[in-house]
Amino acid sequence: MAEYWDIKVEDIFNSMQERFRPDGAKDVDAVFGYDILDEGKWKLTVKNNEMKLSKTDDLSGCISTMKADGETFVGVNTGKVDATNAFMSGKVKVEGDMGAFGKTGKLFRKYIIAKKEMTVKEYLADMFATIVPRFKAKEAEGLDAAFAFDLGGPQGGKWTVFIKDKVCTVTTEIEGSPTVTLEFNDAKDYVDFILGKIDAQSILAAGKAAAKGDINMMASKWPILFEKYKDPMGGNVQEQELLVLKKTIAVNQKFSTGPIMGKFLKGLKDKKIYANKCPKCGRLQLPPREVCAECRVRAADFLEVGPKGEVRYMDVVFYAMPDPLTGVARETPYGSINILLDGCKGNETLPHFIRKDQIEKIKSGWNEKKGTRVRPVWEENRIGDIWDIKYFEIDE
Amino acid sequence: MAHKKNRNVGIIGIGQTKHSSHREDVNQPELIHEAVSLALKDANLTMKDIDCVVHGNMELFEMVHSPDLWHVLGTGAYGKDCIRITTGGTVGATLSCASDNLTASGMYDIVMAIGFEKLQEGHTTGGITNMADPLWFRKIQAGALTGSSAYDVEREFGLERANRASLTYRIIMDKHAGLNPNAHRAFGLDFNQIDDLIRTSPKLVGELKLIEMCSQSDGACCVIFACEKKAKEISKTPVWIRDHITVHKEETFSIFGYNREFPVMKTHKFAAEQLFKRNGIKDPLNYFDVFEMYDPASWWAIDWLRDFFDLKGDEHLKLIENKEIMIGGKLPINPSGGVIGSNPIGATALIRVAEAAMQVRGNAGPHQIPTPVNHALASGFGGTMWTVMTMLEKELNW
Repeated sequence: MAEYWDIKVEDIFNSMQERFRPDGAKDVDAVFGYDILDEGKWKLTVKNNEMKLSKTDDLSGCISTMKADGETFVGVNTGKVDATNAFMSGKVKVEGDMGAFGKTGKLFRKYIIAKKEMTVKEYLADMFATIVPRFKAKEAEGLDAAFAFDLGGPQGGKWTVFIKDKVCTVTTEIEGSPTVTLEFNDAKDYVDFILGKIDAQSILAAGKAAAKGDINMMASKWPILFEKYKDPMGGNVQEQELLVLKKTIAVNQKFSTGPIMGKFLKGLKDKKIYANKCPKCGRLQLPPREVCAECRVRAADFLEVGPKGEVRYMDVVFYAMPDPLTGVARETPYGSINILLDGCKGNETLPHFIRKDQIEKIKSGWNEKKGTRVRPVWEENRIGDIWDIKYFEIDE
Repeated sequence: MAHKKNRNVGIIGIGQTKHSSHREDVNQPELIHEAVSLALKDANLTMKDIDCVVHGNMELFEMVHSPDLWHVLGTGAYGKDCIRITTGGTVGATLSCASDNLTASGMYDIVMAIGFEKLQEGHTTGGITNMADPLWFRKIQAGALTGSSAYDVEREFGLERANRASLTYRIIMDKHAGLNPNAHRAFGLDFNQIDDLIRTSPKLVGELKLIEMCSQSDGACCVIFACEKKAKEISKTPVWIRDHITVHKEETFSIFGYNREFPVMKTHKFAAEQLFKRNGIKDPLNYFDVFEMYDPASWWAIDWLRDFFDLKGDEHLKLIENKEIMIGGKLPINPSGGVIGSNPIGATALIRVAEAAMQVRGNAGPHQIPTPVNHALASGFGGTMWTVMTMLEKELNW
């Protein structure tokens, strides 16, 4: 099985049970399929806030199936690959019910990349293999010494480090008569000592280790001659799980309308639509605004317009946009229309919605072509709000 | 006459993060710090050299009030003059204008502009909808999405030609983004996919399709500005700011009258005409070597080309169809991949200036235009049809 970022596809699946979030599985009752190229197929059953995963050859009965290659699958699950990009570019394909598959995103905690453990044997091999690169030749002026290591236990071994003429060499046996020999009953203690997990005094005091020969040479020279050993596991700390804090804000707000917009909103209560007129350029403003932005003069003359008019432009909205005022997604598709109410001209249009079942029939108008005629449908209980008009509908 | 400046100002440092939808690994100050460090390194300066920090992003997109206070950990503005600017989609461009003005005025010698956004942390459409008049329009608008540009182009040139032009533009942007290591989205699209994408890409509004819309990115951009004297001392390749223009409009969305006798003021066209006229540029299409355009969707981009360069008939579509806007073409547009490629909104318009300046310096990286870039143009867009345009020059000789 291939590995990506040191992770196998199997690792992702095998950890699913442990990463499963019952919270995210509320209201989910479905079977999902995973078809990973050259790796195999898996079936995930989620029901009653519990999950079951099985490797299978048969993905029939799945509500939706994700198809990807191993690298993309591991990448998306570990955050190494952007999931949206992978989906948009076709590296991840979802067959079946796309909406249902979206729910799998909440089912699991993120996969945290665990670092591998190193054995004592691997540590010793690494420690002595890095002796020469860590050697500081300029500190060895005039030194001629041999440091021997006799490390016991099942994973232990013997090494001698020679320093002569500012050159350092290492052998995997004890040769000749070393200047000093360090003996450890258990090589694991030596590894822990070098990693700083236990101190030399306590090992020596406990009789777990001994030094023969010129102990001072070892104690005073060794730390100067070699750079400190760096743990390739970095202390073997798991990569930190990064938290994302989720907040929802709901606030009450109130806005004063002022007299001009107030007149417009009050008019809606009485089933009347008011525009105001710029005394300088004569254009109508709908809804009424305090001043004409173009002429920068107050506009206080009102005129009743509509309530019927002609559609000049309609946006058909397919994207399920959550309404920021309620958090509820608007039902799609809906038609957002700009209406030229009777009595208005040019760009003096009013935006509103069209009756949902009439979207298909709406024609937008321009100079050469009349748009569809529409009329407002009023709410029974009107409060002075743009939604006192429920929507517009075709007037024929 | 260009607008009055007490002294010239040059861009001497640029830094930007990799733009992405996956930056859960850092918080907001940490993300900003990445761009700030890169810009300081690029300019070979330290925070001690910065006289003033100008900070900006979209108001309330992340629902944090006065984010410049929290972000001071990343901006380095502690104990310094720091000004916060927020002007909607144009904010990045306004950061650049303000930094230029603050330096040109003589108030500060070195000013750092920082644009930022973490769109994954807030609610973009919620933020945009809260811009609308709360007395009535907030309830009926649909965020930043509209198919009106598509409708306009389609009505004038027919659905098939319009669709193909939009997708050609989109794929050119994807090819450019593929060259830009900082771009958020590069799918590896090719021109032979046009028909397929027209058919399969989900529609958002009208003919506006998912593939044609900009991304929602996390990212930050930092640009350092210096007065002429300092710029020449510090940088071997300062990029000079020749002029910039900002044009605002009434906030109302009632712009869909569709009556030729009552033309709607188009701020891009208006701004471009003013800017080129006062700088004596008669043929902008030939004058500029690169244009970093704020292109929120490919439909808007193809429509706006006509406004920016005062093109007649179908000249704008031909530029796209003949791939003259690709790197290596007559006027490369968005070698960076543009806003469709990466869109951390508060940084987006500053990235336009930064990317244009990198092209002038000649060290943009894999997406560098191969021919010399002496004159560059950048645009910002936001609000309801607001425009900011910035002109950059390699030589101080205008």
